[in-house]
Amino acid sequence: MKTPQGHAIHISLERCKGCVHCMTACPTQAIRIKDGKARIAGDRCIDCGECIRFCPNDAIDSRTTSFKDLSAFKYKVAIPATVLYGQFDNATLPSEILFALRRVGFDYVYELSTICELNMAAIEKYIDSHPRPRPLIASVCPVVVRLIQRRFPSLCENIIPIEPPREIAAKILRANLPRILKIAPSDIGIIHITPCPAKMVSINFPVSMEKSYLDGAISIRDIFNPIFQALRQTKEEAIMSRLFPETIFSGLGMGTALSGGETRGLKNHRTVAVSGVRDTMRVLDQVETGLLKDVDLLECMVCPDGCVGGPLAVENRFLAKSRILRLVSLLGERTVMDSSDISALFHKDFLSFQNPIKPIQAYPLDDDPGRAIQKARRRTRLIKQLPGKDCGACGAPDCRTLADDIVRDLAAVSNCPFMKEAK
Amino acid sequence: MGEESAFRQEFPVTGGDFARAGKVSCEIKNLAKELGLSDRVVRRVAIASYEAEMNIIMYAREGRLNLSITPDRVRIIVEDSGPGIEDIELAMTEGYSTATPEMRELGFGAGMGLSNMKKNADIFEISTEVGRGTRLEITFLTNGQRA
Repeated sequence: MKTPQGHAIHISLERCKGCVHCMTACPTQAIRIKDGKARIAGDRCIDCGECIRFCPNDAIDSRTTSFKDLSAFKYKVAIPATVLYGQFDNATLPSEILFALRRVGFDYVYELSTICELNMAAIEKYIDSHPRPRPLIASVCPVVVRLIQRRFPSLCENIIPIEPPREIAAKILRANLPRILKIAPSDIGIIHITPCPAKMVSINFPVSMEKSYLDGAISIRDIFNPIFQALRQTKEEAIMSRLFPETIFSGLGMGTALSGGETRGLKNHRTVAVSGVRDTMRVLDQVETGLLKDVDLLECMVCPDGCVGGPLAVENRFLAKSRILRLVSLLGERTVMDSSDISALFHKDFLSFQNPIKPIQAYPLDDDPGRAIQKARRRTRLIKQLPGKDCGACGAPDCRTLADDIVRDLAAVSNCPFMKEAK
Repeated sequence: MGEESAFRQEFPVTGGDFARAGKVSCEIKNLAKELGLSDRVVRRVAIASYEAEMNIIMYAREGRLNLSITPDRVRIIVEDSGPGIEDIELAMTEGYSTATPEMRELGFGAGMGLSNMKKNADIFEISTEVGRGTRLEITFLTNGQRA
């Protein structure tokens, strides 16, 4: 499942027509067209999945865990993202969806909204015990963490070092299931169900811990049909699942699938919620120039409207959002976690990062300062010479990026069809 | 390597153009990153150039930030045609501001601009002529320090 460059995004050379849609959509200029096919430059890609949304030929997908991979585990546990509850019609209750997951082949299903509530409470405790720096940035979205490491390295220290709900849930299961079930830890497979391609990367290449507590991630795209079929076949079971609600859901936690969900629980703090990858970059730019210092918590989610807009979801995000909001209002703001439990876990560092998030040197023009300056000068001259049409015909997303590639010896001036004409 | 081989770029700024506020300092910040300057220097350059950009937008008719980078230092020369500063010492005081209530409502004009620039710079020079404009020379020493 691990791709050589450490990314989840995969382009099918068979399906790719070499058009420029993904390349121009990429917020980090990580895609080039070479030999008529789109390719990903490993060190620039942050696995946000924008390219998946924009490809008109379905040539881009993500390398997530497949159903077959599950057979490696004797005991299979699913931790579905709360986004899953918004994928089916209003009449389908979360408890039925969890029931159906068991039908699909999981031995145990762990509900995540309570852990989302725990996560929010831990974030509040962290904010209250750390007056500096501001704004603190929530770390639930793995793409935001990768983006900050590479593009906004000085903001690494603003990231709240609390593990996201999916990892905390898996950690709880790892600590308890072997004992309860009396089976070897290696026989237990804990799988996240997600609308997000980056989760797979955060599992295979974790940044805040040595090893992820999760064994894999299945996309909602892949598991939607099996669940849908199971829901159809198990109408009677559905009644039972309603009569025996085995799980407690948290209204507060449920809302974290949506932009603003993390900040909703914080009543006494100044918060800002941003969604969408380009808007996130815009706001992080402002933070780096010293703005938003009066904000306690900045929540950034790179998918539009939050995780509910993840590229591997099935239902359109507007419907899914409406369903989740309905669940949130049905469940109310009653908290389900015990505050003394939260305190204990927080102080035991059960919820904290193992390792701090470290900046990743983001491709300077050259390692030698003098040569970097010369390259920047040459790039400025090139940008003036290039036509500025940003057509993408050269295989780079825009003229500035082509100029940048040229001074890095990754492309030639002759790649530009307009420059050829001029000669 | 001498001055003649420095990286230079001029960034014009229009007074009153709040819609574009932050664009120039963001570009300067990204250049500093691409040239491999350390996070600390990038941060200081970003904050000081933002304050300089905002001062032109808030108070001047027009102005420009002239960036020059050598392996040893980053220098930003800020020139504007604007009202100038009557009492530099007073203007450099933290919290002193001539911002209008409207600017303050927008969250600007906390009176930290000049002092913030000075705080983040290694060398800070200011010259001004009332009724004509202001010139700032902000220098950050990088000592060849790399990220």
